[in-house]
Amino acid sequence: MSEKISLKDAERKAFKLALQDGLWDILLACFTLMFAVAPLLSTSLGDFWSSAIFLPFWALVYLVIKLLRKNVIKPRLGSVKFGPSRTARLLKFNLLTTSILLVTFILGILAAINFAALPGWTFPVSMGLGVLIGFTLAGYLLEFNELYFYGLLIALSPIVGEWLYFNLNVSHHGFPITFGATSLVILISGLFKFVHILREYPPFTTNTLSGAA
Amino acid sequence: MSDSPEQPVDLKPLIAIDQVIHAQARLIVLTYLYVVESVDYVYLMHLTRLTWGNLSTHLGKLEEAGYIEIEKEFQGKKPHSTIRLTAQGRQAFREYKQSMQQVLDDLPD
Repeated sequence: MSEKISLKDAERKAFKLALQDGLWDILLACFTLMFAVAPLLSTSLGDFWSSAIFLPFWALVYLVIKLLRKNVIKPRLGSVKFGPSRTARLLKFNLLTTSILLVTFILGILAAINFAALPGWTFPVSMGLGVLIGFTLAGYLLEFNELYFYGLLIALSPIVGEWLYFNLNVSHHGFPITFGATSLVILISGLFKFVHILREYPPFTTNTLSGAA
Repeated sequence: MSDSPEQPVDLKPLIAIDQVIHAQARLIVLTYLYVVESVDYVYLMHLTRLTWGNLSTHLGKLEEAGYIEIEKEFQGKKPHSTIRLTAQGRQAFREYKQSMQQVLDDLPD
């Protein structure tokens, strides 16, 4: 039994080492940032362009992250291909993410069409619940504990924002404040992990290898 | 001399234990290789916390026994080694697990 547990732990450790570079956190922070900044831009750019402008921004961030992973993280941490059980878990995660994105897209269109008819709390509460369920499942499938915390922060953002709007008359439903704060927390967490990798794991160059061997 | 000598413990499974795997560092290496498909040198070094030279020595012994294969290639101008367990290595690791379990189960309290 203990043998079984230690093999499981070994696999989990091998997987977690690949996730600790902080770059996924930074990407998530950039996604969340849209909800904070888009409402501010909507007055000048309109609803569509205030969100659409983030597509090239995300593409740029994704490209930078790919380059950082290849040129900065890989020489420090190395690389791994996971076994069939982990690959199956990752496949489930990908299917889940795609399903959530599709449902969100459809609900978003329905909400946009009937936005005026929706009671005030319907949108933030349903968005918060959806995010919480999605992130909880993702955290479970990826065994990535930070996702539970990030999910909670993102889920609370529209609800707290709506509360600020109703009670303190904060503009743009409070989204710039709540999503901005959430994005900042995730970004700091990601940067902290990234800097930790840079400090703790020096790159392995050809010279280092031949010198140590 | 006792009239009813105790039944001697059967130590045959202990003798059958694979000494290539039984060394602590090689056991750690094989444990990680058993749970992933393949891994490169640097990643394996971080996982096992072995030094470069130490890991190289143990990988050499495991490769010699036919338990692992090391694929060497160049990524750009840098050498890159990918390590994976062979079918023989996977089978040997399973047999080692069974042997160890049997030995420990058979030991008197």
